[in-house]
Amino acid sequence: MTIVFLTMSAVTVLGAVLAVTLRNLVHCLLALVLFFLGIAGHFFLLRADFLGAAQILIYIGAVAVLILFAIMLTRNITGTEGGRGSLGGAWWLGVGIAAALAGLMCAASRRSGLAEKLPYGATEEGVVKEIGRLLVTDWVVPLEIMAVLLTAALIGAVVIALEEERKR
Amino acid sequence: MSNLLGKGLIDGLVVTAKNFVGSYFDGNRKDRLFTYQYPEERMKLPENSRTFPFLVYDGTPDQLRCTACKICETECPPQCIYIVMERDANGKPLQRPRVFDIDISVCMQCGICAEVCPFNAIKMDCDFERSKHGRFEDLLVHLPELLKSNEYYHQIKSAEATRVDATRKPTKKPAAGTKPEKI
Amino acid sequence: MDAIYQLIHAYCPTMPDLLALVLAILLPIAIVMGVFLTVFALLTWVERKALGRIQNRRGPNRVGPVGLFQPIADGLKLLTKEDIVPDAADKVVHFLAPVLVVVPAFLVLAVVPVARGFVPVDLNIGVLFALAVSTASVLALFMAGWASHNKFSLLGAMRGVAQVVSYEVPMVLAAVVVLMAAGSLSSVTIVEAQRGLGGWFVCKPWGFVGFVIFQLCAMAEVARTPFDLPEAESEIVAGYHTEYSGFKFALFQMGEYVAAITMGGITVTMFLGGYLGPGSDLPKIGWLISACWFFAKFGIIVVINIWARGTWPRVRVDQLLGFAWKLLLPLSLVNIVAMAVWHFSPSKLVGWVASAVLLAVAIVALVRLNAGAAFEKRSYRFTS
Repeated sequence: MTIVFLTMSAVTVLGAVLAVTLRNLVHCLLALVLFFLGIAGHFFLLRADFLGAAQILIYIGAVAVLILFAIMLTRNITGTEGGRGSLGGAWWLGVGIAAALAGLMCAASRRSGLAEKLPYGATEEGVVKEIGRLLVTDWVVPLEIMAVLLTAALIGAVVIALEEERKR
Repeated sequence: MSNLLGKGLIDGLVVTAKNFVGSYFDGNRKDRLFTYQYPEERMKLPENSRTFPFLVYDGTPDQLRCTACKICETECPPQCIYIVMERDANGKPLQRPRVFDIDISVCMQCGICAEVCPFNAIKMDCDFERSKHGRFEDLLVHLPELLKSNEYYHQIKSAEATRVDATRKPTKKPAAGTKPEKI
Repeated sequence: MDAIYQLIHAYCPTMPDLLALVLAILLPIAIVMGVFLTVFALLTWVERKALGRIQNRRGPNRVGPVGLFQPIADGLKLLTKEDIVPDAADKVVHFLAPVLVVVPAFLVLAVVPVARGFVPVDLNIGVLFALAVSTASVLALFMAGWASHNKFSLLGAMRGVAQVVSYEVPMVLAAVVVLMAAGSLSSVTIVEAQRGLGGWFVCKPWGFVGFVIFQLCAMAEVARTPFDLPEAESEIVAGYHTEYSGFKFALFQMGEYVAAITMGGITVTMFLGGYLGPGSDLPKIGWLISACWFFAKFGIIVVINIWARGTWPRVRVDQLLGFAWKLLLPLSLVNIVAMAVWHFSPSKLVGWVASAVLLAVAIVALVRLNAGAAFEKRSYRFTS
């Protein structure tokens, strides 16, 4: 439990708490970005440097922008209208369920001993080479399935946009 | 080879490069590097340019052409001219203004006063460096600042001044406080 | 950073460890920021003078000898301007947006090796870190447009976001070619992999195409002409930074310009051989010579940037996005295949010829496919 780990955790938890309690939706999104940064920091702490950089690249560079677009297209320009108070009525129920789920996942991952079973570890030069090697040897089928899925999503987006054009 | 891929882009780059290098060797010709180093050098303004009005005098500032007829004051659209005619000791009007004020913060430089003046007394200047430090009293221009000679008029607008001089009949203005003289 | 840590330990062994560590972290940061802020100020002056000469006029020449103090004058002017925030704007987001534009621009400088042994942090994932952090500025663009509470700003911000996001993909794919050749993500390793005569990646066919693609995408990422649609003065008032005045506006300009400089640094590292050059391996003064080489190559990139800015007209937004998705993206994918062909071919000559032919065919095919209808010859009714 070093200083760095505590700082990172504090930043992450602060971002998460602000993301669910703030009133303005865009402020919630900024808090979520802070949360993503904290998670990236945790990845760097665990020596998973590729994952940390990918977290910044994908989550902050793309997902946050996507959420901003969604907010902008569904709300008015300020993002403050609509919805009651931010936490809702029985917030203690949500907290309880979340705590129970988190405890369940912690216990399950600790009980299963996944860390000892997997021989893949981070080396001194980082984990990129290992990830690359595994993706094309042991895990090539999930890679190809992901590629097909992404291609399908891309084609679907193009088809939707094309249909809208033709309908006009 | 005229439609070689990317040729248009490269041609554009070549033109720009030639321009860049050539600009150092062509001397300080104004048609090459047309920057005017204001305020040391100024562009020559065209003849029809106009900014604010001025009063013309022939010879000495005493011989101003204005007779205080107040036509320009009446015709001015934003009413920025204020004229008071000079009167001698008995109250008789002399044909010259005692007070001639133009508020150049109101003046919209339309030139109507110059158009309607029957004596060719008020003409449009092309001096644009009129900034002052104050916003109100400093921008009210009085008679002494408005008077500029006919030679100055010839200097800034020579064709127009020559035309005006050809059509004018010379008159002599009465000095302030004396009886008018007949020619 | 490690080198400075060793130096501190060698020269002042009595310094406590924590202080030495803090110094070793802060000193490279201070040096890099100082050097690159000076480079930024000088480059704004160079750009204005060069653009002026291209456009048949002198640049600024009033403030100091040949106008050298113009950047200082600009900075002072923007500092003393009133900071106007629209009443209906989101104060927090309006304040944070310029900050989030400047921070990624400077953060990428941490992995650019300026001279031999002079990279502030030698990350294992250097290039990936650079690309990831430069992507984070897209959020700031959108925040700036949103927080101004102004429909035109929002529109400009959306166009800016579309442009940045579209040009990220060919940029990363063009960088992948270099990673394949160097075998590592660390920027120092990439520079060291370009040793030897003709070892720079730009001298190889796939490297040259990759360099062109990467440079075009870098110009589009930082919204420089000819891709400066989001912030051009004649488009949508001033795009996403309409409602910014005073120092926040200065921060936007600075962030964009420093991002352009940083991307130039990354290009030099990846394609032009970083700090390598004859004489950069000498024992005592090798690091100085390598720094000179780096800045010379960096100067080439700056010249290309300014030259392109002074020459090419602005592209329209649909042409912009079409260029990225329909031309640069397939071309970068073909580039990867060409590099693989070059790498795995039996002999060097076959590899060169095969990859060069593949790239040439791909370029010609893609341009012809994207060309659109040719203009037909005009015929006038009343003139013979």
